[in-house]
Amino acid sequence: MENKFDRGSSLSIFGSDRREDFMALVFALVIAFSVYAAY
Amino acid sequence: MVYTKKSPALFIIGVIMLAIWYAAGNGMLDGYMEHLAAGKKYKYGAELMSIPMYFGLISVVIGAWQWFGSHTEGSWDYYSSTIAGGMFILLIAMLVRWFVAPEVAVISMSFGKIGDTGKYIHKLLGLNYVVMGIVTGIIIVNVFKVPEWAQNGVRLSRLGLKTGVILLGTLYSAAELKNLGGLSIIMIGFFVLGSVGLVLWMGARRGIPNSMGGVLSAGMGVCGVSATVASAPVVQAKSVEIAYTIGTILLWGVGCMFIFPIIGNLLGMSYVQFGAWAGTGILNSAQVAGAALAYQPDGIETLKVAEIFNITRVLVLPIIVLWLAVWYVKREESVTETVNVGQVVFEKFPVFVLGFILLFALSTTGMFAPANHYKGKYFDNTNVKASKMMTEKQIAVLTANSDKVQRADRKAALSRLIAGGKIASIEDDATIRGLANSKIMGKESGKILKKAHKAVRHTAKKIKAFRQWITWLFAFGLVGLGMQITVSSMKQAGGQPAVIGGVVGLTKAVLSLVVVLLIVSETV
Repeated sequence: MENKFDRGSSLSIFGSDRREDFMALVFALVIAFSVYAAY
Repeated sequence: MVYTKKSPALFIIGVIMLAIWYAAGNGMLDGYMEHLAAGKKYKYGAELMSIPMYFGLISVVIGAWQWFGSHTEGSWDYYSSTIAGGMFILLIAMLVRWFVAPEVAVISMSFGKIGDTGKYIHKLLGLNYVVMGIVTGIIIVNVFKVPEWAQNGVRLSRLGLKTGVILLGTLYSAAELKNLGGLSIIMIGFFVLGSVGLVLWMGARRGIPNSMGGVLSAGMGVCGVSATVASAPVVQAKSVEIAYTIGTILLWGVGCMFIFPIIGNLLGMSYVQFGAWAGTGILNSAQVAGAALAYQPDGIETLKVAEIFNITRVLVLPIIVLWLAVWYVKREESVTETVNVGQVVFEKFPVFVLGFILLFALSTTGMFAPANHYKGKYFDNTNVKASKMMTEKQIAVLTANSDKVQRADRKAALSRLIAGGKIASIEDDATIRGLANSKIMGKESGKILKKAHKAVRHTAKKIKAFRQWITWLFAFGLVGLGMQITVSSMKQAGGQPAVIGGVVGLTKAVLSLVVVLLIVSETV
């Protein structure tokens, strides 16, 4: 996909893979602890 | 640049979601759901009553603000503008999962089962919500183009996939990984190192640049795009070579994603066998997940095994990077720029793999389910409901057929079951399950034994919730992935890299299939 964005890459809204990985980690931990608390 | 479009699109998406929720909740879809269920219970009724309501409300509120509000350049504008594309992907995933895929199944079943396979066309071709979601994404991007208001959000799909991979760690326990890990390490070690070596050898024979061969070998051997990106600076690959490699991986992976489930169905592979094969033979993490979900759309056992193999493969990445660095430095006399391998590994190693390991560690402590759980299920005979205890009639049937049992361990487990009205221990549970599968005691006794087994097996509620999250994160990610597969990106795989990639990919797929069929049994 051609990159039409001045931020991130054509495949991600984040500037680097590392930042995307960290965001995924944050989301996963939020979901995990929500499930832990709710059930 | 202002990213938020003053468009009614997100608001309309929200209204559609709320309409689905309202129609389902008020019985307006009952007739259609009955048609889609084809004589069984419609599987997605509970999802229809909740998911579209939550996401519909969010979409309507934010959609109204995007439509009528004023927007200025900045981080808030940049990130909030992704919501429209994200909800667009989610709506497609919902429609495909709840309506399109079941409708295709109904049509497929109307043609009857195919020959000796004993399976319907849609099962054989793996036509389920996962595959149809990706195909819908490919059609949208290549035929209609992704709408401008959704383009920023489509780039969220990889984030969804990575979040799903991290959460998969919650489903594993140390006991499970201990058994599976040994085999996955041996198989992955053999096939990863073999693939890298074969690409480098073929690349040298066919005269492609060392940088091209190096980056292609990492992509073909390890884990697709992540490995390509990680190894590129080590072999000083040019951007066009990285693009060629990614194109080759995606093209090969897309083919595998569709063909692997068909072959798996034809050979009648178990979930564990198919998961091991997909995790070894398919190159890209997302496509491994796609094939595993295509093979088993309503369960997660195949996906779990495939991801264990896939994660093992990613963990080999530092070794490959080191190998390539040494190989490249030896072959390239013209290398002038010093490459710090340790720094490259530190900078490029995918952190989401560490996230997976972190949640696996938390899961192993028993935080989400009893530590002895296997696939989210665990043995517990202390809380068997009275309704699930064996009745006198059932005990009489088992007693009448007990003479047919010859093996001492089975006899002992059966007598303890008859005496106690429930399975006595986890060892007895395995023995009774084997006895039921052997069909020695006849059909009726077999059913009773299976019921006794189910009575002492429990599914952890937390694990059930995690499965739901993972399924949706992957459905979301894969629809978005489809929207990133353009015809031009596939054409990039043409030429020598595609030939080498094809030969190595095919060799790996066939050899790993043979190995899996020979040494992987139902439970590894």
